[in-house]
Amino acid sequence: MAADFVPAARSGLPHQLMLPAQGPETAPVPEQVNHGLEGVIGSGALLLQSGDWLLTVTDLRALERQLAAHQLELVGVEGVQPLTLVAAAAIGLTTRLHLNAAAEPTPKPLASSDLVIQRGTLRSGDHLQVEGTALVLGDVNPGARVSAGGDVLVWGRLRGVAHAGCHGDSGARIVALQLRPLQLRIAEVIARGPEDSPPPGFCEQARLVDGLIRIDPAEPSWPPFSS
Amino acid sequence: MGWPEFGAIISGMSGIPVTSAQNRTILICSGKGGVGKTTLTANLGIALAKQGARTAVLDADFGLRNLDLLLGLENRIVYTAQEVLAGSCRLEQALVKHKQEPNLSLLPAGNPRMLEWLTPDDMKKIVGLLAEQFDYVLIDCPAGIEDGFKNAAAACREALVVTTPEVSAVRDADRVIGLLQTREIKPIQLVLNRVRPRMMANQEMLSVSDVTDILALPLLGLVLEDDQVIVSTNRGEPLTLNGTRSPAGQAYTNVARRLRGEEVPLTDPTKEGKSLRAKLGRLMHTKIF
Repeated sequence: MAADFVPAARSGLPHQLMLPAQGPETAPVPEQVNHGLEGVIGSGALLLQSGDWLLTVTDLRALERQLAAHQLELVGVEGVQPLTLVAAAAIGLTTRLHLNAAAEPTPKPLASSDLVIQRGTLRSGDHLQVEGTALVLGDVNPGARVSAGGDVLVWGRLRGVAHAGCHGDSGARIVALQLRPLQLRIAEVIARGPEDSPPPGFCEQARLVDGLIRIDPAEPSWPPFSS
Repeated sequence: MGWPEFGAIISGMSGIPVTSAQNRTILICSGKGGVGKTTLTANLGIALAKQGARTAVLDADFGLRNLDLLLGLENRIVYTAQEVLAGSCRLEQALVKHKQEPNLSLLPAGNPRMLEWLTPDDMKKIVGLLAEQFDYVLIDCPAGIEDGFKNAAAACREALVVTTPEVSAVRDADRVIGLLQTREIKPIQLVLNRVRPRMMANQEMLSVSDVTDILALPLLGLVLEDDQVIVSTNRGEPLTLNGTRSPAGQAYTNVARRLRGEEVPLTDPTKEGKSLRAKLGRLMHTKIF
């Protein structure tokens, strides 16, 4: 695999050199650039698309010398690797950081910012509706409902109906000290509550696993407020 | 009986004078119908009156009123709260004093055909008038959570919630408790009615702890299922009136004593009816023809 030389679309714009994505068998940068620039007799400015490569100041200096042999002048570096951009900036090149969703998964928005706390038991007929995460300090009695855009957390007995992720967030969870609901809903999935008596002393959580609602002992990391 | 006696109710008040720091207005409600609100109101009214408290019972279920039936006062009603509010009679004229228990008076809320007239403010006014003269004002709430309930709840400071050990009654009671709590009525206490110890023991009925777990209220009394309740209803003589030894009658008397602040231990339904004395008592009450 070689670096990909893209000539400037019109005069005034720099040429571009794209480094391939890093893999287990990719060659070092100078070799790739040599391959990529074979037969190129361009001239003028060049922008390096460094992708996820980590390049030091030394690497960039070597690259400049390689490019000079083809009458090309390195003027800027773009990529997702911040350290490469720092090195490029250090030698006076323009830089731009690409945000790469795949390489750096955006952290799930933390629940604590839009947490709604209900102090006291929800009784039959009550319906707590919350955009973010609902934390009930008390029981959710049979006949009561909790709907939350995020998680439903019950510091007490959940015996009513709980709907987590009611706007479609299938990663939402329902956690309760005693999880014996009439009905559970997560995103679009609906399940009846378990009928056997709960194991004593376990905090339980329900979440979606392969499209089905599954109840497990709650993870020790609960509540999930610390990132 | 002649009607002039109505005017003499206040002056004719007998019994032990009770000096309560504050008169108490208590709503008796359940949400579900048929669980024993009216029976509790009648029996509690009689029991409180017998213990010397000046007591008024107000039938707020005026669409389907029958508190007067249970107290045996149906044929004595002339005026109602409706006329009092309209100014066409005095409160003393509308109050119906009980035949045997002069400490107890009944105020019927209104004519069953006039359902629309009452507002929460009317109810407050009526209860306010009663509270000036009585130590206890018990308000028999209609079933449901609609206007009748809202009217009755508007006028009360405390509440007794009646329920039976059935899922439906507990569910409705739970709803009512939620509504009462938003109105800042307190204390709200629980009376568990129609308990059948044998069914509880066989786990065919919700247990006492099942009910108190859900409702999370202090339990003011447990009333056992008792055939005598039906007999007394049909006769118009509440069980607490004659000091019968019926389990339900005793339970109602105990509720009244606890309401007045006495410490009376709760009966344990699992042990109820198993002692030798209870068995003998049952044997003696059994009519053998």
